Parts: sequence; structure tokens; C-alpha cells
Amino acid sequence: MTKMIEIRDLTRIYGDGAEVRALDGVNLDIGRGEFLAIIGPSGSGKSTLLNQIGILDTPTSGRILLDGVDITKSSEKERSRLRNRKLGFIFQYHHLLPDFNAIENVMMPLLINGVKRSKARKIASRMLEEVGLFDRMDHRPNQLSGGQNQRVAIARALVNSPEIVIGDELTGNLDSRASDAIYELLRRLNREHEQTFILVTHDEAMAAKTDRVIRIVDGQIVEDSG
Amino acid sequence: MFEMNIAIRHIRSRQRQTIFSVIAVALAVAIITISMSMLSGFTSYIVDATVENQPHVTVSPEEDEDYIYLYHGLLNYIRRQECVIAASPRYQGDCALQYQHNVEGVVLYGINPGDETKILNVEKDIVAGDFMSLTGPGNRIIMGSKLAENLEAEIGDAVTAKFPGSKPTDFTVTGIIRTGTQADETLAYANLGQVQGFYDKGDIITGIGVRVLDIYAADTLAEKIDYETGYDATSWMEGNREILDLIDQQAGFAYIFYLLIFAISGFGIANILIMVVMDKVGEIGMLMAMGTSRRSILLIFLFEACILGMMGVIIGSVLGYVSSVMLASYTIPVPPEMYFGLDHLPFLITPKNFIIAGVFAMAINIIAGAYPARRASKMDPVEAIHEV
Repeated sequence: MTKMIEIRDLTRIYGDGAEVRALDGVNLDIGRGEFLAIIGPSGSGKSTLLNQIGILDTPTSGRILLDGVDITKSSEKERSRLRNRKLGFIFQYHHLLPDFNAIENVMMPLLINGVKRSKARKIASRMLEEVGLFDRMDHRPNQLSGGQNQRVAIARALVNSPEIVIGDELTGNLDSRASDAIYELLRRLNREHEQTFILVTHDEAMAAKTDRVIRIVDGQIVEDSG
Repeated sequence: MFEMNIAIRHIRSRQRQTIFSVIAVALAVAIITISMSMLSGFTSYIVDATVENQPHVTVSPEEDEDYIYLYHGLLNYIRRQECVIAASPRYQGDCALQYQHNVEGVVLYGINPGDETKILNVEKDIVAGDFMSLTGPGNRIIMGSKLAENLEAEIGDAVTAKFPGSKPTDFTVTGIIRTGTQADETLAYANLGQVQGFYDKGDIITGIGVRVLDIYAADTLAEKIDYETGYDATSWMEGNREILDLIDQQAGFAYIFYLLIFAISGFGIANILIMVVMDKVGEIGMLMAMGTSRRSILLIFLFEACILGMMGVIIGSVLGYVSSVMLASYTIPVPPEMYFGLDHLPFLITPKNFIIAGVFAMAINIIAGAYPARRASKMDPVEAIHEV
């Protein structure tokens, strides 16, 4: 498997007075198409690691290479572009834009990328079909259930065909039946599109179902089943 | 354009905030344009009244004198001056006019109609009869509209002029004049020769009215005449210094007032936009996560401010225009003494005022929107996403 993500000596320190080492010299390689979970207690640094891989945050020291590109040395403009093209985010809260309906939300990453409206609409509706919400495309978030909104968020995360999909506690707001359905959906998409899925979770049961579990405690990787 | 679409959608979805901010701008623009129209109207009326209804320069007798005795030479001297268009000799005197059982106090102006029309546009205020009729045979008189009303006299009637020491003389009414000022109650014109005859003091006058090419050069001419002839000459500006200063002062206060209104409206808008940004923290974070640049975020909220501003300016301008037109057509019963002799609120609706108000309102909107927009663009996406 080719290396999608290479992390070398990643350190992230917060605060001026009382220092907090959220990440402490982390080293990690993740390949293309992997389906893995990052698990750890609250405050362990798992979300921080995710934010680093997701180019939402910059490290205090160390390097991250996404598909060979050193993102710690990229400009603000380049980072935005990479975020748009190479990454897809799914958070615990769906964060759909409430003023837009389902299909418009899914189209958003494409429009940011400069794709023409009509083409974006086509791709987005196909994506909604894949997550089983084709007939709800004109509904706004306040007209959909939590689980449905999360599925729209997943469609949006995947619409630009990103190479890396990041999920941060994405079943935290859902009941077990909806959680299972989401998991199955992600698994299927991973198999069909060969995207790298990194799921941060505290749900041991879900983590166990993935192909690789990385356990993190106090900013350091203590266990890596891959 | 991507950012514009998001901005428009925000505005359409958040109706209450949209309405509030549009009203804030519209009210400010409406109030200010109505006020500007009134100020313009007032200023224009005053300038008209001062410049157009009196001679640019008035020459009066020497200090302790009541009359100008050898005026023909003086007239020629004045007419020879480069900047002078015309000069008109006048004999102004008080008298009483009687018609049947009505008697009124009057200021009688003896003039040569031909000369007088050259220094002032008297004919435009004539509402009945003809100013030049004063050149006709016999004693003729033109009187103010209110004066005629009070005397119950009409064209063709003969009124009697009376003054202690003068022989009562009949004058036939051949014209009515309405200036729109208090003068309509006491004004009367008659032929210079006939008035001189009535007062019987010989061929003398009480003053000369002069019209000049450039009204702002009136001062200089007045000084020159004063210096070279010893007669007292005043320009329209001197005579109205107080009013002109008052107008400037009022305009100054008005502008400060407008700025304050705009400032208040601006704070109102900034407040509303800050609320919108705070409401949308999660959205902003997500947009950034999807790859929207900070610059784009800034543009989205600036566009919102601009669109709301435009809507407010348009509605406010329409409101201001309609209100001004309505107020202008409404004649207010204000006693003339109270308001510089006006019997209605003067309005002057000019595009210039509306454009100025509109530009300022847009500027305030953009400034007010800049702070919230900047805050939005400077958010940390991680914090923003997790704040919800």
C-alpha cells in the first residue's frame, strides 16, 4: 500500500504559562485505502492529531506529508486548496448550512472548487443517492432527522472524491441503530472508492470493527494494531 | 459568484435580521433626505428672497440727510461703472391709502417702470394688470395683493393717497402684485414723477437701486460708491449678513446631525451583523474545513452588509422622496412673521442630495460590516467547529 500520510515527530504544545503537550513526538504512517480508528480517553490528543492531519491546525514542531506534500510548509491558500481537494470532514455535529437544502449542502465543496453549478448538482445528487437520501434532496436540515443529516454530511464529505476522509466522533449524537447504519455506509464507500478513512472514536466496539486501531494516551501512540 | 450566493441566501433566510437592518438604514436615509430637501428649499428661498427681491446695491442719502438731492449726476456716475447693468431712482415714502371706508398704511415707491424692471424682476410677481401700465396717463398705482384685499379695492378702482402736508390725491389701481412676503400688505408702486408731485419736495429721491453683473462683486461696488461719492451704499450681502451666516450655521449643524444619525444607524447595523456572525460560527468553521479561504469568508459578510445597505438606501430614498413631495404640496398655515414670511414649508428635491445621502449610507454600511466580517474571517476553524 502506498503511503498516503506520513507523520514525523509531530509535537503540538498549547498555552504560554501552563504548557499542555497535546501531541508529543508522534510518528505514524497511514496507507491509501486504509480504514482505521484512533481511540483514546478524553484529552489524549486524538482530536488534536485529527486536526493536524486535517490541515485545520499547525504543529509546534515536526512534519506531516499528505501524498508527498509537506503541508506544514504550505501557504494559507495552498492549505485551503488541499483541504478542499484532498480531505473530507465529518464531525459529531453535522454542521450543515441551515440556510441551504440537502443537495445544495452536498454541492458546496464542489462549488468552492470552482465546478460549474449544473455539473455539481449532478455529482451531488448521485452522492445523495449513494447514502440513500435522493428523495430528500430538497429538504433543509431542520426538516431531516439527526441520522439523515449525518448522512447528508457524509455525502458532502465525499462529494469532491477526497483521498482522506476524517470522522471525529461522528456517531456521538446518534442511537446505536443509526450508528451501525452509518458504519456500514462508510465501510461500503471505503470498499467502493478506495479512500482512506480515519475515524476518531471512544466507542471500543466500533473501533474493533475497523482494520487498524491506533490507541493514543497523553499525546503519544501507545498501541498500533497496523 | 460563490460568496455572493451565500450572502444572498443568508439574507433571504434570516428575515428578521434583514428587515431590522434594512429599516435602520432606510429610516436614516429617509430622515436625512427629507431634512436635506427642506434645508435646500429653505436656503434657496432665502437666497432668492434676498438676491432677487432687492437690488444688489442700494444707494441711500448721506449720513444726516433724508434725501438725495442732485441725483441725475449720481445716476450717470453709477451707470458708467463697468459692472453695473442698470440703476433705478426711487422715492420711498409712507402714506395712507383710502378706498371707500377702508384705510391702510402703505409704503409708497415712486419709480420709473422702465428703470425698475431693469434692476429687479418685478413683473414676475404681477398677478393682475401690468407693471408697465404705470407709464400710462393719469395717476396710476400698483398694490400688494393683501393690501388690495384689505382695502377691498380692485383694478379700475380709484384709491386716495393721504399724507400730512400733502394734498389728498387719487390713484387708479392698474395692477396687483404678490411677492409672497409680508410686503404684500403694505407695498405700492407709482410713477416717480407723480409720487414726487404728491410729496411736493421737488425733483429729489430717497435712494437708487443698482443691479450688477456678478452678485458676489456687489460688495466691492458698494464700497467704491461710498468712498467716491460720500453717499451711503450697501450691498445685498451686507444687508443680509446675519441671515446668510445663520444659514451657513444651520447647514453646519444639520450636517453634524446627519453624521450622528448615520453613526447611530451604523452601530445598529454592526450590532445586527455581529449577531449574524456569532450565530454562524459553526457554519464558518465548516466552510473553512471545506476549503473556503479566509478571504472568501470576509467577502461573504461584506457582501451581506453591502446588499442590506443597498436595500436600505433604495427604500429610504423612495420613502424620503415621497415624503418630501407630500410635505411640499401641503400648505401650512404658519403666520408669515414667524417664518421669514413663508406660508408653506419650502422643499427643494435635488438628485444631488439623494446621491450624497446614498453614498454616505453605503459607506457607513461597509464600515459597520467590516468589523464583523473581519472577525468571521479570523476565526480558528477548530474552535469554531467545536463551539456548537
